[in-house]
Amino acid sequence: MTVSVADRIARLRLDFDRSFAEPVRRHDEEHVELLAVHAGGRPYALRLAQTAGLHPDRPVTPLPGPLAALLGLAGFAGTVIPVYDLSALLGHPGPDRPRWMVLAVGAPPLGLAFHELDGHVRVEAEAIVDEEPAEGQRGCLRGMVRLDGAPRLIVDVPATRALVHALAGHIQVTEETRR
Amino acid sequence: MAEARDPLRYFRIEARELVDQISAAVLDLDQQPGPDLVARLLRFAHTLKGAARVVKQTEIADRAHTIEEVLVPHRGNETALPTDDMRELLRLNDEIARFVRDLESPAENSAETPAEDDEPAPRSVTADLDELLDAIGEANARIAPLRDGRRTLARIHRGVETLGEQLRSGREPVDVRATVQRLASDLAGLGRRFTDAVDQVERELDEVRGRAESLRLVAAGTIFTALHRAVHDAAEAEGKHVRFVSGGAETRMGPQLLNQVNGAFLHVVRNAVVHGIEPEEQRLAAGKPAEGTITVQVERRGRWAHFRCTDDGRGFDLAGLRRIAAARGLLPAGREPDPQELIDLVLHGGVSTSGTVTEVAGRGIGMDVARDVAVQLHGSVSITNRPGQGATVEIAVPLTLLSMNGLIMEAGGTVATMPMDAVRRCVRLALDDAADASASGRLAYEGQVVPFLPLARALTPAAHGHANPGVAVVLTADERTVAVGVDRLAGTTTLVARPLPDLAPAAPVIGGVAIDLDGNPRLVLDPHGLVAAARINAGRSAPASELTAPPRPILVVDDSLTTRMLERSILESAGYEVDLAASAEEALEMAHARDYGLFLTDIDMPGMDGFAFVSRARDDPDLAAIPAILVSSRSSADDRRRGEDVGAAAYVVKGEFNQEELLAHIRRLIL
Repeated sequence: MTVSVADRIARLRLDFDRSFAEPVRRHDEEHVELLAVHAGGRPYALRLAQTAGLHPDRPVTPLPGPLAALLGLAGFAGTVIPVYDLSALLGHPGPDRPRWMVLAVGAPPLGLAFHELDGHVRVEAEAIVDEEPAEGQRGCLRGMVRLDGAPRLIVDVPATRALVHALAGHIQVTEETRR
Repeated sequence: MAEARDPLRYFRIEARELVDQISAAVLDLDQQPGPDLVARLLRFAHTLKGAARVVKQTEIADRAHTIEEVLVPHRGNETALPTDDMRELLRLNDEIARFVRDLESPAENSAETPAEDDEPAPRSVTADLDELLDAIGEANARIAPLRDGRRTLARIHRGVETLGEQLRSGREPVDVRATVQRLASDLAGLGRRFTDAVDQVERELDEVRGRAESLRLVAAGTIFTALHRAVHDAAEAEGKHVRFVSGGAETRMGPQLLNQVNGAFLHVVRNAVVHGIEPEEQRLAAGKPAEGTITVQVERRGRWAHFRCTDDGRGFDLAGLRRIAAARGLLPAGREPDPQELIDLVLHGGVSTSGTVTEVAGRGIGMDVARDVAVQLHGSVSITNRPGQGATVEIAVPLTLLSMNGLIMEAGGTVATMPMDAVRRCVRLALDDAADASASGRLAYEGQVVPFLPLARALTPAAHGHANPGVAVVLTADERTVAVGVDRLAGTTTLVARPLPDLAPAAPVIGGVAIDLDGNPRLVLDPHGLVAAARINAGRSAPASELTAPPRPILVVDDSLTTRMLERSILESAGYEVDLAASAEEALEMAHARDYGLFLTDIDMPGMDGFAFVSRARDDPDLAAIPAILVSSRSSADDRRRGEDVGAAAYVVKGEFNQEELLAHIRRLIL
């Protein structure tokens, strides 16, 4: 009996010591934090690192204008921020008003609205299938992740911002192509 | 404590105000002599003398006394003061001003900062604070009903408890039903009072917020005294008689902006006196009054502030300008420049920095400063020349923060604010009148027909079949009057409007945005945009004309199915409606059958090619106004030029095909 206790102590000590020998897990590099969302009835994921805030039920003042995707303006601590409908930017606008909004990283301020928040998940970096920036359509989507057994396209926030800039006339049109 | 440490604290404030008031009154006296002004000046000087004696500022007190001595002989006189006396008054006041400045920060003011570059004194702040305090008091007063309501609530509470007690103990009151009904009606009444009171408090707090925000802004009139003084001094140095007229003093804007424009305008008015206003004998010979006039007018138009300086002098020396421009090779080749072109050279041609032009045309340096200030403030400067009659220099700068009174209006479920200064009148609309006005786009108002625009139509594109507006708001902008139909008016408010944020393109009827009490954006309408929109609306007979309706459909012309489908998916994703044609011939036929907003066409197609299609469309009166974009794999400069020649609005190369670029073109063209 005493022997087995001594053995146990030795094993515990070994485990304890060994735990120091293992390399420290690097959370940030191995994991990616995602927001699982639904926009216009379709599932997507957003990288949390590309967002600067998540807000439900923010009042949005509709702004009449040329862009159907521009839902309107929302106030954040005295700053007025344009809010775009993510599903419209992704090419499938719907009749429902989105309930949620993320603030996109970068400047000028920009809000992206979507309909449902499915959750906040941490996935291993390997779970994300990367994709070369594709040509042509679906310019805002980069890569894919499998969540709960179903694949989700990942919305690239900077690419979405670039699309908004282009839609809002923030693009540089070369002199040559301009009349 | 503060007084003990700094006994001059209040004297500085008072003295600064008095110096300002003396300066303004002396300059007024110069233009409109009268016993009232002399009496007022005597009062100011006397007050200043007394205050200075109390705080032992003998230099100031002595000079104030001298001012009194200069004035006393003229007390009660209708005639103008002799020039020497005027000069003496201004000199004494300048000296006092210097002493007062030295009291403020002796160290800083030892440097030679010219007086005119000082920040304009926010003279109207006291009045603004009074108004703010009034508004706070009013908000406070509105809380009283809530306090009374608390007592009523306690009474009802007691009533309910008594009733409960009676029911429990079996001592039922005579009529339970009646008692309960009375309590219920008391409760309902209380509820209504609470709702009203909360509404009112909310409105008053809105007012308080608006007034507090506008405290950050300064009235434009605060720079007029300095400009008047500059005109006076320049005129005296030149031996001319010049009258200073000002308008728009109440326009409010940020102090920083006002300060910068002030700096530029000091040059502009001085130059107008020195180079614009002719010597007396020349003026008389030209049939003008001996006294010249410089008018400074400040005006707010939408989000812009316009500062105008107009003189009635000789105007710009066009011949001289032309000579210099020719010598420097700045004239357009092969033709005679028109006068405005020559004038614009002063502003934009780089001649302005040249000393020679400054001498000949006279106003180079002032224009340089004016242009720099305008560029810094993202505005513009323009000159209107009337040879022999004078010239106008105008600086237009966008206002980032703008205080205004607004009329809150509701239309089609949207709340928006209209700047009050554009509103002429509000008229209640009978049901029939509203229906007629909405259908025809016109309203009879004071014996004339004015364009009519239901606001809901401009704000919410989907407002088809919307109920007829109940009120017509008659407004004037750009010297045109129109009427805007709204569902109801929801009171007035003081607000600070700011520009729309980046990435938020809006219909031209929207001028900016303000933050309401809850921190949410509220749209501020642009009267100029509304006038334009109402006139367009009236120009179209059918009420179906939607100003912010979804853009008109796009016709895609391409013989390749893949390209047609690709383009369609891009355009539809961006919210456009798309029709497809497989050939130019088919497209021409379709174009006559539907009202398209844009043609997007390939070049190489069997039969008629894209160039021919665009050219045919340009020549067709029905289609000439519809822009066309050529999309082709041809990328040579020749092809681009040919596209341009036939009248294509843009040329996109398929190999470099880029969805964003294409959409940017379309957005630009289809608006």
